[in-house]
Parts: sequence; structure tokens; C-alpha cells
Amino acid sequence: MTNPIIKLENISFAYPGATEKILDSLSLEVYHGDRIGMMAPNGSGKTTLFHTIMGLCRPDSGTIEIFGSPVSTEQEFQAVRSRIGLMFQDADDQLFCPTVVDDVAFGPLNLGLSADEARDRAREVLATLGIADLENAITHRLSGGQKRLVALASVLAMEPSVLLLDEPTAGLDNGVKEKLVKILNHLDISYVVISHEFNFLTAITDRVFSMESGKILSDDEVRIHQHEHMHKLGNHPHKHV
Amino acid sequence: MISEALAQGDSMIHRLDPCVRVVCAFGVSFALALSEQFGVLGLYLVFALVLVALASLGAGPVLKRLKPVLLFVLMIWVILPFTHEGEPLLRLGPLTMTRPGVELCLRITIKSVSILMVFIALLATMTVATLGQALHRLRVPDKLVFLLLMTYRYIAVIQEEYQRLLRAARFRGFVPGTNLHSYRTYAYLAGMLFVRASLRAQRVHNAMLCRGFNGTFRSLDSPLSNRLNPVFMTGVSALTLVLVVTELLWK
Amino acid sequence: MHISEGVLSGPVMMAGAALAVAGTAVGLKKIDYDRIVHVAILSSAFFVASLIHVNLGPSSVHLILNGVVGLLLGWAAFPAIVVALFLQAVFFQYGGITALGVNAVIMALPAVICYYLFSPFLNKGKKTVFAASFLAGAGSVFFSCLVLGFALYLTEKSFFEVSLLVVTANLPVMIIEGIVTGFCVTFFHKVYPEILPRPRGRSNP
Repeated sequence: MTNPIIKLENISFAYPGATEKILDSLSLEVYHGDRIGMMAPNGSGKTTLFHTIMGLCRPDSGTIEIFGSPVSTEQEFQAVRSRIGLMFQDADDQLFCPTVVDDVAFGPLNLGLSADEARDRAREVLATLGIADLENAITHRLSGGQKRLVALASVLAMEPSVLLLDEPTAGLDNGVKEKLVKILNHLDISYVVISHEFNFLTAITDRVFSMESGKILSDDEVRIHQHEHMHKLGNHPHKHV
Repeated sequence: MISEALAQGDSMIHRLDPCVRVVCAFGVSFALALSEQFGVLGLYLVFALVLVALASLGAGPVLKRLKPVLLFVLMIWVILPFTHEGEPLLRLGPLTMTRPGVELCLRITIKSVSILMVFIALLATMTVATLGQALHRLRVPDKLVFLLLMTYRYIAVIQEEYQRLLRAARFRGFVPGTNLHSYRTYAYLAGMLFVRASLRAQRVHNAMLCRGFNGTFRSLDSPLSNRLNPVFMTGVSALTLVLVVTELLWK
Repeated sequence: MHISEGVLSGPVMMAGAALAVAGTAVGLKKIDYDRIVHVAILSSAFFVASLIHVNLGPSSVHLILNGVVGLLLGWAAFPAIVVALFLQAVFFQYGGITALGVNAVIMALPAVICYYLFSPFLNKGKKTVFAASFLAGAGSVFFSCLVLGFALYLTEKSFFEVSLLVVTANLPVMIIEGIVTGFCVTFFHKVYPEILPRPRGRSNP
């Protein structure tokens, strides 16, 4: 078996001042080719988990290995960050440049590409996602769905080895969702997706995990599945014991 | 709220290199503001009108943009001719218009309207995104350009947040008035905007780090090459120079 | 509160521009790369907040809040305010290029002064915080009026009455700004104290 791309071991994290741990001895391994979905209630630490992988939150204990080597300092994280593409929950946080092409080229420019190379890379990615016409659009005038796709483009332009997608469908209409499903299924890349939407996750992932009280519940403990029956709150993911 | 409608055109001015336009706007505006002679000022006014015409902006949108300054001009015409001391020009009942007062008003009127027309013709005809790029190429410090572009980027986002907060307050029966409760409510709304802005700034900073930002700003430079650039630049510089020299000789 | 294009004399205009460039340069120097996003987005918030109109009897006035920006950003308030004013000029044509310098000094200098005068009191008790920020809010508008009046007076002695008029007309605005700034800063204290500058000496404002 090959080495995991991302390996978290016994990660614990509590926000300063908070008494409860948001991540509690959490372990996770992501291998090349994995397409993992993650479903969990709000506040269960999913976003914190992603931020820990990116080195934006430093865990209180536990170890992180990325591409086979341990990372703990800002320098070490800086070196691996560009190879992991984190797509933020709110596209407005991610798209901070005035125009679409500036934004998509921002990552490649930071990777050391020349302006022309970065522009070509940006155009290529926009074309792949079918939004080449947005190249010169002003970012803040885009619709919610367009912003989401541009955010994805800005992450893909860095040619990462793995994607972390935080609620990519939040607030999107079905048309854009379907488009996103199509795009993700055609990408040859590993990813971890957080979402509330069961149908979306099953359409794009091979495994679905759940998080509860700061831990990831593995397939043995919980398997989210669909079967038809009715009861109160039946539209939420739930465990049958 | 923010409309950059004037930037959408395709006139001769729109096709010029933004750097050329920024330099010309600065040069002409300052030369104009420093002139005093009516003859010269009149020529500047014509110059500004020509620039607006070259930008093919309709009279309507331009007048709309000039509204604040026209109101200001109206206000000074009501006050200054009568309060300024000097040789009387005209008596209107108990009020006396003085010659220096009228001259001052006329000067301010021509200057302010012309400077703003130059601004509208040359600068309002590009988006702030383009303007930022131009300033970057003109060696304005990176930090300042970044500050400008980032501030511009998030105005619409924060404006939307404000509308949502205000709507929520109205739904809960908030009726603004001249009282402490209203001022406190507005203070909390404004405070919330700053708090959210600060929290968002952290997220945006994180997003920048995730995409390899390490303290240097790089950008895609895209100069617009156009045969007209040197022609326009030379023309505007020559005209401005002539006007400046005329102004100096007049004294 | 600003001076329109074409009003100021050459020397006043140039002095204003020079002061604004100097203030901006100092402010930019104080912003390191970890804080620049913060300054920029607070500047957007300042831009939006200054479009808020509050009632004043039968009429209404818009908020200014340069006091709040000063307390939050210190010297960095200078470039933040310059950028916001420039964008106002671009979008609304409230001003153009030549008066930008003086207008920046009118808005930003009082903000920085109020930061130095009142931010030391911001980690005290609730009443002190309210009083200090009331004074910062009212004071920065008062100083702004003074700078504006001074710039007019230097341009043309006959503008003296106009300058007095500006200060008097803005008295109610000062009170409103004081109240709003007071509540605004006590609000920060309650919900998100991290936004306020740490006591000086440990951070660079």
C-alpha cells in the first residue's frame, strides 16, 4: 500500500477559552485516489479539521503528516499548502482579487510562474470548468454559483494533489450542483468533501464518513445509507442502532 | 450601489492605456487647479468638455455625476457674492454683490466643474480593477494598490451585510428617529459591520496563505498597446503646457 | 465633510497633498503583510458605514466614524481613509484629485490624533470606555472641522465666517458621532474585544 497523502494522528484542538475540544484525538488518512465525503452537524469541527490540515489552526496535540513527511511549523506548512487545494465555505473569502482572471492567476503567480504562464494557466482552468467567458468579469458582480466555480478554478489552477471542499453546494441551485457533480466526477484528483447533502455526496464520493464529538466515525461504526422510511427529522443523517 | 457604468463604453478614451489616462488626469487637474486667469480657465473648461465628448458619455450620466458639485456651486453663488468684501457690482435691495465675490465664485465654479469633468472623462471610464493595475505600473507602492483593490472588492460584500442587518432590525420593529435608542441601534449595526469585516479579514488572509501568498504581491500586467497612446499623451501634455505658460505670462 | 475641487489656493492644496502623502507613507509602513487584509476590509466597512444616514430632527446626516477607524487602526487609519475617500471620488464624484490631499488630512489626521489621545483608556471599565470613545468620536469630527476651517481660512481670509459656520453647523454631528462611537466601541468590548488595539508597547498600531 502506498503512503497516505494526508495522515492525521490523535489530533486534539480546542479554541482558546473554550472548554470543549472541537477535535478530540481525531485520526484520518487520505490516500491517492480517495474520494471521501464527510457529513456531520454544524459545529462538529469539520471546518476546523480542514484548517488543521492546512496549518491555519495548530493542534494542541497529535501529529500531521503530509506527503509522507511531518509538518508542524509555518515554513513546513507553507511548503505543502499549495499542493492541497482548500475551497472555502464562503467564496467571497476566497476571491479577493478585483477580476476573475487576477484571482485564478494569484496562486500560479505565487508558485513562481511568469505573468504570461499564469494567465495561460488561468484561462485553461476556466475553460475546463466551462466558464472561460468570465475571464475579465468583476468578481463581486458574479452570481453565487459563478463565484463557487471561480473559487474552484482558483484552487485547481495551483494543480494540487488533493482537494478539500468545504460545503461546496451551500446556497447553490440544482443546475449549478449538477454541474459541480459533473466536474468533480471528471477530475482525476483525490478529494475530501464536507457537505450536508446526502445525494450530492453519494454522487461524487466512494466513502462517506461522519463526525461526532470531535472524532471521525469510520465505516464500521456508522454507515450513512439511504432507505425509505418515515420518522421525525428523517431528512437529517442519522444512526440506526 | 456602486455602479461603474461609465467604464463600459468603447470610445477613443476607453481604448487608451489606463496609465496614460491616469497621468493625464493628474497633470491636467493640478494645472487647472493652480490657474487663476479667466481666459485660461475658460480654455480649460473647453478642454474638459472636449475630453468628455471624446469619451462619448451621454449628457445625462455626466450631469448626474456632476450633481453634488453643481449643488455646491449653487450654494456658494447664494452666499459668497454677498459676504465677500470689495467693490460693489450690483445692489439687490438690502444686499450688495461685490465684484471680487462674483469673480471668486466664477473661478471656483469653472475650476470645480472642469476638474470633475476631467476626472469623469479619464478616470471614471475605467473600472477600479483597471485603475489599480495602472497605479501599480506607475510605481505606486504595492501595499497601497493592494489596499485600494481589496477595499474595493469588499465594499459590495459589506454593503450586502449591512442591508441584511438593517432588514432584520426593521423586521423587529425598528423605526429610526432622533433619539438615543436609534443612535444606539445604528451604532450596533455599524459595530457589527466592523466586527464582521474583521472576522472576514482573517478568513481572507487564510485563503491567501492557502494559495501560497508569502508577502509579495505579483500581478498580471496587461498594458494596452494602442497607436493613440503616444499621440494622446503628447497632445494633452502640449496643450497643458501651453495653458500653464499662458497663465504664467498673463501675470 | 469635505472641501470641493477648485476652492483651495495652490499652496494650501500642495501642502495638503504633501501631508497626505507623508501620513499615508507612515501608515503603510506600520502595516505589515499579516495586517494588510484587515486594514483593507475595515476600510470597506468604513466606506459602507459612512453611507448610513441617521435622523436628525426633520433632516438626516450621514455617519462619519473616522473616530472609530482611528481607534481601531491607529496610524493605519491614514491610508485606510485615503483609500476610502479616493473610492468615494471614483464612484460618487464627491471630489476629484486635487482636493484629495486636503480632504484626506481633514478626515485622517484627527483619527490618528484621537487614537493617541483616547486608545489608552479602552481597556478600562465600561463607563471609561464609553466616555473615551464618545470623546474620540466627537473630537475627531471637531478636529476635522478645525482642519477644514483652517484650510479655508488660509486660502481666503473672507472664508473665516464660512469656517465658523462649518464648526457651528457640525455641532449636532459631533454629538451624534460621539454617541454612536461610544456605543460602537462598547459593543466591540462586549462582543469582540480582539478587534480593539492591544495596549501600546506590545503591538504596533
